Amino acid sequence: MNHHPAAWGRPLPASASFDMYNPQFSAPKAAPAHQMPVAHTQQPLVTGTSVLGIKFDGGVMLAADNLASYGSLARFKDIERLHPLGPHTVIAAAGDMSDFQWLKKELNAILREEQALSLTDSHPSLSPSNIYDFLANLFYARRSKMNPVWNAVLVGGWDRVKAETFLGYVDLLGTTYSAPTLATGFGAHIAQPLLREAFEAKAGTDGKGPLMTQQEATAVLDDCMKVLFYRDARSMNKYQIATVTKDGVVISDSKSSETQWGFAEDLRGYGAQTQ
Amino acid sequence: MALYAEHPASAHDAHAAGPTQHAFNPYSDNGGTILAIAGKDFSVIAGDTRQSEGYSIQTRYARKVWQLTDNAVLATNGFAADGKNFVKRVKQRLEWYQHAHHKQMPLRAIARMIQTMLYGRRFFPYYVYNILGGIEEDGSGAVYSFDPVGSYEREACRAAGAAQSLVQPFLDNQVSVGILLHFSSHRHPSICSFVPSASLRKHTIVTNDRQFPPRHDNSTRYLGVFAMEALSLALTPQIYFKNQVPEPGAAPFIPGNLPLSTVLGLVVDSFTSATERHIEVGDGLEVFVVMNKGRTTDDLLGEGQLAEGMEIEELGALGDGGERTFLVKRALKRD
Amino acid sequence: MFLTRSEYDRGVNTFSPEGRLFQVEYAMEAIKLGSTTVGITTPHGTVLAVEKRVPSPLLESSSIEKIMEIDSHVGCAMSGLTADARTMVDHARVTSQMHNFTYDEKIGVESCAQAVCDLALRFGESVEDDEALMSRPFGVALLIAGIDEKGPQLYHTDPSGTFTRYDAKAIGSGSDAAQQSLQDAFHKQMTLQEAHSLSLKVLKQVMEEKLDENNVQLAQVTPEKGFAIIGEAELKTLIEGIAA
Repeated sequence: MNHHPAAWGRPLPASASFDMYNPQFSAPKAAPAHQMPVAHTQQPLVTGTSVLGIKFDGGVMLAADNLASYGSLARFKDIERLHPLGPHTVIAAAGDMSDFQWLKKELNAILREEQALSLTDSHPSLSPSNIYDFLANLFYARRSKMNPVWNAVLVGGWDRVKAETFLGYVDLLGTTYSAPTLATGFGAHIAQPLLREAFEAKAGTDGKGPLMTQQEATAVLDDCMKVLFYRDARSMNKYQIATVTKDGVVISDSKSSETQWGFAEDLRGYGAQTQ
Repeated sequence: MALYAEHPASAHDAHAAGPTQHAFNPYSDNGGTILAIAGKDFSVIAGDTRQSEGYSIQTRYARKVWQLTDNAVLATNGFAADGKNFVKRVKQRLEWYQHAHHKQMPLRAIARMIQTMLYGRRFFPYYVYNILGGIEEDGSGAVYSFDPVGSYEREACRAAGAAQSLVQPFLDNQVSVGILLHFSSHRHPSICSFVPSASLRKHTIVTNDRQFPPRHDNSTRYLGVFAMEALSLALTPQIYFKNQVPEPGAAPFIPGNLPLSTVLGLVVDSFTSATERHIEVGDGLEVFVVMNKGRTTDDLLGEGQLAEGMEIEELGALGDGGERTFLVKRALKRD
Repeated sequence: MFLTRSEYDRGVNTFSPEGRLFQVEYAMEAIKLGSTTVGITTPHGTVLAVEKRVPSPLLESSSIEKIMEIDSHVGCAMSGLTADARTMVDHARVTSQMHNFTYDEKIGVESCAQAVCDLALRFGESVEDDEALMSRPFGVALLIAGIDEKGPQLYHTDPSGTFTRYDAKAIGSGSDAAQQSLQDAFHKQMTLQEAHSLSLKVLKQVMEEKLDENNVQLAQVTPEKGFAIIGEAELKTLIEGIAA
């Protein structure tokens, strides 16, 4: 099976069984659970598609749509894939949504503990990079146990101590990297070039020029989400944008892009039409 | 992407006996190339900064060369997550060693320790090719190269990673001005028939003084085609002198004796060339230069030593070894 | 005395109200019953000398082994319950071999002493997992002599797990007098020969029997040859040398 993020939740080749997501069809006569070996996540089931991230002059933005797919079925259409962690960090997840829900629970527990410490102490709050390092260690440790957390996660935030933005990627293999614009899965192919183009138009290829404004960053993310909706069959035209600045986290209401489908009528050469 | 290989179609065949197995593949290949060359009293360790997966560039800046101690620098290449975590483990061991033995770990000890750490994971390997460079306790420049499960040896130079097959032959063959040389007439009679005598040697030296090292662009003159004139053959820099035989009675070729400016030129040329021909190499170049105690830095910091577009900074000492480490940065093509 | 102490003598790891671990202190006493052992450091190497008590003329004196090699560059001499020293020397040997395997270099002398001392307090009641290896403290002290990049060194270890570096040190039954003699005669620029004869002279002073090649053992660690026990013939010559 192809594990590449771009292939998550996509149809299997014709040679595959009818419905790999339904064990009734794909796994003939599985033994009862208590007789099976310890089960690890072997494949994602309910998946979210690409998430995007970009830095701008006052902070960082993440974007993700509200869809959780069950294979090719658009199963859950009001899922939030952006999640705030403390006052200055947001994570956005692609991949298995149940793993993501577990992850949120774990992280919330840690944050609660940290918050409790800060009530009695001058305990410093977790910076975005602290949370990112934790995730990287967690994902790498789990992959090393052959029990991956089946997500690709973007971490965006504002580091209060360093007074700078943070944007990082970590995935189920424990692979990590950072860049001024990031995109997972299908978005790495479709949106990342658009994001880089927009970023470098102002900041230059060395990134030393002025960064785009919040309005410009929102515009390019809106554009990318629209293109992804046009091109990614596992996407949905309903998405949110999270913005982190020094003033904190704002997660937008769900919104939709203006789309044009009129051209479809004029398409010729395939489908039912022959002329 | 190769590491994400699809299962053969038969594995999905509904008629196949037993349940369908989808094995999780815990590895990836993140491209990039690393390189190290040992000098007499210095060592140069370099790597590009691109991190990729398949045809996607994940980031244009991800470090894969790391300062470990005052006299050791480690370059890692392969699966980036393993690389990062391996370096983390190595640094942890270096700290424990320092606490236990009250000294920085010597280079050869680091090399052996890396072997034991890699072999310790023989049956779930770190998918990482390591190259360790630095200064030995005797003051000499050294390079150690490793395979993912810990086989290692000390060498004069080594390239690893995506463009290893492009860079290593270049390093093997390159020939030095440091030592007078002539080509074996058995190999290239057409060229060597007119490279016979002491008169040419003298001429070579004079030419060297005038032309070499070519500091203006940090670029080396090397043997590309036989059509090059015989003189330029005799003044190209060398590392391993492969396929070359010294004249009877002449001093033997000694790998690891190149001047620093020549080595830097070789490194830059290796990476610019690899960037041209390999899609996984590019974006940026980081070159670490480790110098023995008290060695002159004129050939690195002196006026006009570094070409346009190269930045240099000195990295702070981690102990009181006295060796000095510099980081030279340069852009590479981004396409 | 025993009446007041008895309560705190029950557990090997129980502190007395004065803050003492009696079992450890008793173990130190055991060393004072042992035969005298001396070590001397010079710029050219370190010398170890031990008295071998030969209670019977029927005893084969060469079977008494009180100086042992730890690695090619480290050796040790012991006083007290010498059987306990086997455990410690064994551990030191394994540790130095492991170090050589892992780091491709010889272990430092101090690290070697540290390795021995790591064992010292692993006694007492074991709690579930067997952290404690022994029921009582070691009853032996060691003089560890060796050479590394810091030069020739001498360390003293005792049952409390403390190790200390010395220029010259005496342990065992005659240690008080012997230490005083060492203090009077030692100087930093000693030659190896001077160290040989000083160690023998000191032993001679404190031994009840007449010193000969059968009731002392002498060893040295030098940069050239590493650890070596002085052979009987050479020892005899040295002993004749100090008599003169």
